[in-house]
Amino acid sequence: MGELRRSFHEELDEIQAGIVRMAALVTEAVPRATESLLESNLELAQQIISADDQLNDLSMLLEERCHHVLALQAPMAGDLRALSTALRLNAELERSGDLAVNIAKATRRIYGTHYDATLRGLLARMSEEACRLVRLSIDAYVDRNAGLAAALGDIDDQLDNLNRECAQAVFQAHSTGAIDLQAAVQICLISRYYERIGDHAVNIGERVVYMVTGWLPEYTGSARLQIREHSNPGGPDEG
Amino acid sequence: MIAGLVALAVAAGLAVVGAVAWQRHRHFAGVAEDRRRNDEWHRRHEGEVVESETRLRLSLDAAKQGVVVADASGAVLYRNPCARPFAEARHGEALVEAVVAELLAEAARGQAVEREVELYGPPRRILFVSARPLRRDGRDYGAVALIDDITESQRLDAMRRDFISNISHELRTPMGALSLLAETLAGETDPEVASRLACRVQVEAIRLSGILDDLLELSRIESSDASERSVVDVRNVVADALSRVGPAAEEKRISIEASLPVLDLRVRADRRQLASAVFNLLDNAVKYSEADHQVRVAAARRGGCVEVEVSDRGYGIPLRHQKRIFERFYQVDRSRERTRGGVGLGLAIVRHVAANHGGEVKVESTVGEGSSFTLVLPAGNEPLADEGDEPELPETGQPRGQQPVGATA
Repeated sequence: MGELRRSFHEELDEIQAGIVRMAALVTEAVPRATESLLESNLELAQQIISADDQLNDLSMLLEERCHHVLALQAPMAGDLRALSTALRLNAELERSGDLAVNIAKATRRIYGTHYDATLRGLLARMSEEACRLVRLSIDAYVDRNAGLAAALGDIDDQLDNLNRECAQAVFQAHSTGAIDLQAAVQICLISRYYERIGDHAVNIGERVVYMVTGWLPEYTGSARLQIREHSNPGGPDEG
Repeated sequence: MIAGLVALAVAAGLAVVGAVAWQRHRHFAGVAEDRRRNDEWHRRHEGEVVESETRLRLSLDAAKQGVVVADASGAVLYRNPCARPFAEARHGEALVEAVVAELLAEAARGQAVEREVELYGPPRRILFVSARPLRRDGRDYGAVALIDDITESQRLDAMRRDFISNISHELRTPMGALSLLAETLAGETDPEVASRLACRVQVEAIRLSGILDDLLELSRIESSDASERSVVDVRNVVADALSRVGPAAEEKRISIEASLPVLDLRVRADRRQLASAVFNLLDNAVKYSEADHQVRVAAARRGGCVEVEVSDRGYGIPLRHQKRIFERFYQVDRSRERTRGGVGLGLAIVRHVAANHGGEVKVESTVGEGSSFTLVLPAGNEPLADEGDEPELPETGQPRGQQPVGATA
């Protein structure tokens, strides 16, 4: 049994290393996507699009590995939470990688558009902020730091604000005729992609809180629903 | 009688037993001695092996490159301190560890492999990972991977390449224009057109000579160590630079606010070099600001240093360019540079002047908000050698903001 558990924990460590590697691929893809965008570098954009295959491959292997461990070792309590968390993190990171690819694809769509320094500055800052959030979420995961994980939602406010600022700047640039409608829409979408990467990092944080404390973020909403249904069985939802 | 015989037999028997026992004892003593010697030899030998391994380990620990040793199956046996951060990494560096593991596995199968890994960080790094099998006399001892940080050497390579291509390009553009203009001029009969062409020839010639002046200035500053030092009042240097940059600022309707407090702002410096540095900072601030904006220059004394800060509300410099802007000919946005007439030598001059005087130049910049450059020089407290006490401020026609009244805003 001791031998079995030891190899089981080694498996868990390797799964964690896989998650860390996936996050590293994301935090490396995002600044590359930003560079391809700000410098209209189509070659780099293509590299990012191709490199996503590596992330997808890693994600698939990791998922299979998690299922394998779940099926063969029947883990319990904290170990089970660690595995289900790894499965969720895997999906969040894979999606974040796709968003970096979306930015690279948008680079191709707006190729040749010149936009002003304010917009460029905002996009660069959003890129840095999104990467910072992913890094913090992984720090929380590796350190089992529920406090940091829970704070990610508030840290993300800055990125949300930048997203709003970016939308304002796009309206401004479009109204003065500095960029056309196609570019305006694409830049708003790009800004949204960065903001979504931040949201995925916040989701990672929530799952880390669950892994460490066993508390699901959806619990509050679910409890509310039950109270409502209990006090008003069969009646319409009064919100 | 019988008793005598018995006693004799017993005595003989005892003697035989004694002799045998003695011989046995001798034999065993010999064996024990051999064993003791053997053990001692082993102990000594083992000690030597341990000592030798410790020595090798310490040598690898001291290496500036990362070293990872694996057994024949690719499992890691040893990692030196330089390689350890990659194994414990949680962010970009974790990818290096994955590459190391992959290459070690390949090398353990008998193939020497290498790969370059670029990390966007921050900080941005380029690492070169190579792995080779460890084999001797047909026996397999596993594999070793080496991790080299080649960021700096790649940067220097790129700098050298850029320098050659930039200098050729910068000189070729006005030269091409000159030869074209001269050709047209030769066939021109209309004196009015000829005179216009001659003016263009002059403009290009001035541009060319400006580039050559900058190059000469840079090469002079790079090769000298500012040995012709005297005590210089920074306020005078700033005032001179303001008067030189005045016309360009006026053209773009840029106002320069100068804050030169009445403090001891003397430094021991090569006056000409210092003037060149301050002028280049101001010239850049004007060049990279949009029309009608403001540029600030402030001198202050902080601790044992005198600082000259030049800030603008211009285009700003993206973070990834900030480390490279002090390289010769480095330009953040080449496409826009042409229209501003910069060749990318100004900040290289500033950096060299700062280095020559034991100081430094710092940059803070946000894209879309502006940049601020601070030239920090050690203060010199000896009496003024070639300066009057009061700085002569230029009459540039620009609003000069606070005159020397001790304000620093």
